[in-house]
Parts: sequence; structure tokens; C-alpha cells
Amino acid sequence: MSTFLRYAKEAIHDMCYIWWMEMKNVVKDDGVLIFFVLVPLAYPLAYSWIYNNEVVHDVPVAVVDMSHSELSRQFIRMMDASSDVHTAYYCNSLAEAESLVGHQVVKGVVYLPSDFDKKIQRGEQAHVSVYCDMALMLTYKALFSTATNVSLAMNRQIQVSKLGSATQRDEEINTTPMVIEEVPIFNPTGGYGSAVLPGVLVLILQQTLLLGIGLSAGTARENNRYKDLVPVSRHYNGIFRIVTGKALCYLMIYTVMAAYDTLVIPKLFGFTQLVRGSDLIGLMLPYLLSCIFFGMMLSCLVRYRENVMLLVVFTSVPMLFLSGISWPQSSIPGFWQGVSWLIPSTFGIRGFLRISSMGGTLHDIHTEYTVLWIQSIVYFFATCLVYRYQVIKSRRHVNERLEMMRQKVRKYIVHSSSSDYGESQSR
Amino acid sequence: METTRVAATYSNVNEARSAIQRGEIYAFLYIPRNTTSDLMAQRQPSISIYYSSVVMMAGALLYRDMRIVGMLGSLSVAATKLSALGKSEGEIKSFVQPIAVDVHPVNNPGINYNVYLSTFMVPGVLMLFFFIVTVYSVGTELKFNRSREWMQLSGGNAWVAITGKLLPQFLIFFSMMAFYMLYVFGVMGFPHQGGLLRILLLAVLTVTSAEGFAVFMFCIMPSLRMSMSICSLWAVLGLSMGGATYPVFAMDGVLETLSWLFPLRHYYMIYQIAVFNGYPLSDCWIHVVILTAFSLMPLLDAHRLRKAMIEYVYIP
Repeated sequence: MSTFLRYAKEAIHDMCYIWWMEMKNVVKDDGVLIFFVLVPLAYPLAYSWIYNNEVVHDVPVAVVDMSHSELSRQFIRMMDASSDVHTAYYCNSLAEAESLVGHQVVKGVVYLPSDFDKKIQRGEQAHVSVYCDMALMLTYKALFSTATNVSLAMNRQIQVSKLGSATQRDEEINTTPMVIEEVPIFNPTGGYGSAVLPGVLVLILQQTLLLGIGLSAGTARENNRYKDLVPVSRHYNGIFRIVTGKALCYLMIYTVMAAYDTLVIPKLFGFTQLVRGSDLIGLMLPYLLSCIFFGMMLSCLVRYRENVMLLVVFTSVPMLFLSGISWPQSSIPGFWQGVSWLIPSTFGIRGFLRISSMGGTLHDIHTEYTVLWIQSIVYFFATCLVYRYQVIKSRRHVNERLEMMRQKVRKYIVHSSSSDYGESQSR
Repeated sequence: METTRVAATYSNVNEARSAIQRGEIYAFLYIPRNTTSDLMAQRQPSISIYYSSVVMMAGALLYRDMRIVGMLGSLSVAATKLSALGKSEGEIKSFVQPIAVDVHPVNNPGINYNVYLSTFMVPGVLMLFFFIVTVYSVGTELKFNRSREWMQLSGGNAWVAITGKLLPQFLIFFSMMAFYMLYVFGVMGFPHQGGLLRILLLAVLTVTSAEGFAVFMFCIMPSLRMSMSICSLWAVLGLSMGGATYPVFAMDGVLETLSWLFPLRHYYMIYQIAVFNGYPLSDCWIHVVILTAFSLMPLLDAHRLRKAMIEYVYIP
């Protein structure tokens, strides 16, 4: 019993020592500090600034009015009066307007044919053509919904004038037999920032962790005499101690960063935030742990400190897409869904969106939460295996070196003793 | 509807809402009790469309589809009534919808989203790759103490050194970029009215501007780590500032101006104007000139390279 206690005490002592050493390394290394502190602090600010306006207003469109009638002018006026569309150009032909779209000057064209007015007066159906540049979902939605709304409003007026209803209520029921309410939920303004940024914030946590851990592993290797990751020392004795000690250091720093990125930034920029403290902790703890162990596992691949940037920065964009944040998760091909299961950010982002932007509870993100814990455990043991291999390798290097020294010494001793012998002989 | 699939039916709003929270659905239609009878009795019932724009694309497409469905529902009521009165189909159509709106996507009739995503995101990521690899290849000379040898080989001339180093890289990068572009435009058949010559020119400009910018950055800050950080920051921000995901005109005025500093933005404009829509290059000359200027940026500070390579020491 007492031996076990002594063992445990020593293990904890070593773990804390490694924790302390790693902490010192992080603070001393400005490269690691940049990724652990500066990037998670400053990057979200830059992104939030870019997407701060959230929605598009006054999307510029070109108008081609071939009808030149009162009704067509009313249509255009109503379009321009809406908050989302601004009729920036009047053109004389469709070709002229389309070239404005092609030159990225306007985002769409409203075309009113020459028989627009005539058809309505005759009691036939008139057509308005809207040409959209589909490259941007936001402008497409703004233009489409404005044109539909305007046409609905004008339709109603025309119907009322034709019907000759008895009462106002009669008019209402005849023109709108059924009311359709639109309720945008969770992202009420339909803002781009609110949709994309929470995911980016969570991804930043993972990527900076990978970068920082990789960089500090690279530094440890470069400073080590035998280019090994793990030093041979009294305290670096036992895999679990090394892994948990280092992980605790990273976890300590990232608890602060995660709180900043998931609570302060959304608050500052007014993104939808419906999260409860306990749910957030419940999600973030396995997320950070799985990121840390994922990073530590990969850090063994890093030979030189800068190589990690080649690997990690490059993967950020694909990882963001794999999480299903812009392209719906249900439309991602099966193979890529499989790949996405290996990456912590996929589940971190999905889980965070659901509890923070949509006000879900831990129960609603059961799958994400479970997978993150499984990832943490699997990557923890994988890290231990990789570190074990590293420790064995560094021991072997030291032993080889020792053996070499010993042989040198022996040779020297043999040589000097023989020369001593020779000297004494000659004497 | 092509873009919508009815995935499930729920017995109350709360269940449907938590299905959105679980990520099973993106929107739902709420039809309250007695909708049909209210409709028949002319009591003007109301139905509700709940949609979540947390995933932008799904929200926007579902919003459109559900609105059309709701509108059709409302119109069909009027149509039934009118046909009971003995009106013809044409009369009904012109009464219920005197003005119809037709939507036409410009130059992409199939609304293939891949066309927009793959012609911006992939070149953006490739550009990021060119940035980092260029800086890395110059910076590692210092790191592994080969910098003096490199300078000796080039006879102490920074220009010879840089050209010699970047030429093979240019060929590799260019073939990557050209291969990718030929693949999407040639094999996948993405719209490209601009023709082969412009596509290749755009590929050349993309690669040279990325290399030029990267070398410029390294010569300003001959520290491998710092210049790599700056270059990756620039490239990643470029993906947002390019204006293909969130329009530049909707950003703050300052950012609208700053977007000119990102090569990817100019790539996007040239692609849109000269390749996708097929207007002459002269219509986007300013962007061509700026990308060329990016390529020539090392002219400003490459003389610092020699000094850096001979005097600086790599500090880990």
C-alpha cells in the first residue's frame, strides 16, 4: 500500500513538474505564444469586423423598363423603396444590363417587357423577368424575395380593383384567403456572420492548438541534442505523466481562450447566443481534450518547427467545409463524411452551433458529445503509444551515445596504458 | 421541389424545433388545426414557415421553396372558387397572379453551386499553398545554414538567387494551377466564355502574384516564422475578403478599400469578368495590372535579401 502511495505521489509530482516545464517553454517561445494567445485573441476580432454588417442592404440592380408605363414605374419604385434592393442603373436593353452584371457592377437585372402594362389592362398575365447573379446566396435571396413581395403587393391591388368586393374584410379574404407567416428562427436576421462565425471561432481553437503544440514539439526536437521529442531525465519517466502533464498545460491556457472565443466575442458582436454555462462546459471540455490529444499525436510527425504550419494552415478550409457549416451536412458525399469523423472540429462546430446558436441542450447534441469523448480517449491512447515510441527512441539514442563514449574511453585507456607500457619498456 | 425533401412529420412545434436543434431538419411548415375548414369558411387561416438560417444555404433555398408552396396554396383557393364560377384557365391564371415573376440565373442555368465554390475556394487554398511554400523554401536556406552557399552560387546577386530558386517552383505551381483549371473548365464543363488563353493567363498571374507577394514579405521580415505567419494570415483572410462568400460592397467602407490588397480578390474579379462572363480583358485591366504589380513587388526590397542571407542567423 505504501509503495503504491509513494508511486502515486511521485507520478503526480512528475506530472506537475512536466506541466510546469511545458508552461515555461510556452511562455519563453514567442512563436508558440503567437499561436496560443495572439491568434485566438485577435483573429476572431478581424473576422467579426469583416462580417459585422451581417446582412446585405440595397443590393444594386439594373432596371430595363421596356414598357414605360405607370404600372411598370410603380413596380420599379416599389423595388427601390424596399430595404434590400437599390435600382442603381436604368438600361435600354437587356444586353446592356447583363454586361453590368458581368462586370460585377450590379447583382441582378429586373426586366419589364414592352407589353407589361398592356397585358395587365387586358386582363392577361404579365411577366417580370429577374436575372440574378447566383454567385452570392445573400444577394440572390434579397433580390428574389423583394421581387416576389412587390409582385404580390401589386397583384393584390389589381385584384381588388377587379373584384368589387362589398366590404374591406371581403377584399382581404378574397385576395389573401390564407395568411402565410414567415418565422426565421435562431438566426432571425438571416445574417452571414451569425451563420458562419460561431463555426470559425470553434475551428480557430482547434487550429491554433494544433499549430502551437506542433511548434513546441518542433522546438523541443530542435533544441534536443539527438533531435528527439522527449528528453531523458529523472522526471520524464513514464508515458502517462508526460502526456497528462503536457496536456494540462495546454488545457489551462485554452480554457481561457475557449471562454473568450465562445462567450466574449459573440457578446461583443451581438451574435445569437442561447447557450447555458453547464452545456458549454460539457461540450468544450471533451472538444479541447480531443483537440489537444489530436495535436499531440500529430506533433510527432513534426521534425522542424515551421513544417507544422505547412500542414495545419492548409487544412483549415477543408475542415470548415467538412463540418457542414456552409454546405449542408446532408449533402456531403459519404467518403468525406467518413473523413470528417476523424477530426474533432467537425463535432465541436456542429455541437457549438446547436447549443449556442439554436439553444439546444447537451441532450440534443448527444452524438457530437459522445463522439468527442470517444475521440479524446482514442487520441489519448494513440498519443501515449506515439510517445512511448519516442521515449524508447530517445533512450536508445542516449544509450548508443553512452556506448560510444564508453568505447572511446576504453580505447583511450587501452591506448594510453599500452603506450605507458611501451614507454616503460623503452625506458 | 428539387431542393427540398419532406423528411418527417411532427405532432407539435416543440418537437419540430428540437429536430432543428438536433440538426435533423432545417425548416418546418406549421399548419394549425382547422386550417382547411377555416379556409372553406373564409375565416382566413394562417400557416407558418419556420426556417433556420444557421446554415445559410439550406435556409435560403428552403425559404424560397416554402414561400412558393405557401403562395401556391393560397392561389389554389382562389382558383377553385373561380373555376366554380365557370372561368377559364387563362382567366383564372391572370386573375390570381396578374404579375408573375420569372427568375433566371445568369450564365449558370442549372444553378450548379459547385461552379461558384470550386472556382474560388480551391484557387484560394492553392494560393495559400503557394504563399507558404515560397516563403518556406527561401527561409529554410537560413534555417539550415545554407544561405551563404546559396548567395555564393548566385555570385552575390539577390536577383539571380531568387529567379533561380523560384523558376522551378513557378513551373510546378503553374502546372498545378493550370491542371486544376483545365480540369474544372475542360472536364467538368464549368461555364467559361473567356477561352483557353485567358484561363492560362489567369493561372500565370495567380502564381506569380502569390510568389511575388511571398518573397516581398520575406524580404521585409527575414524571419521564417513571422513571414510564414503573415502570409498564411493574408491568404486565409483573402478567402473572406475575396467577396465570393459575403459581398464586399456590404462590408464596412474601410474593408472595401482594404480588399484591394488581397491578390485573391483580383483573381476573383478577373475570373468573373473575363472568364465566367467572357468580357474582354480590357474591362478588368485594373485587376490585371494590380496582379502584375503584386508579382513585381520584390523589386522594392529584394536588395535586402543578400544582407539577410549573409548576416542573419536563424534563432529557433
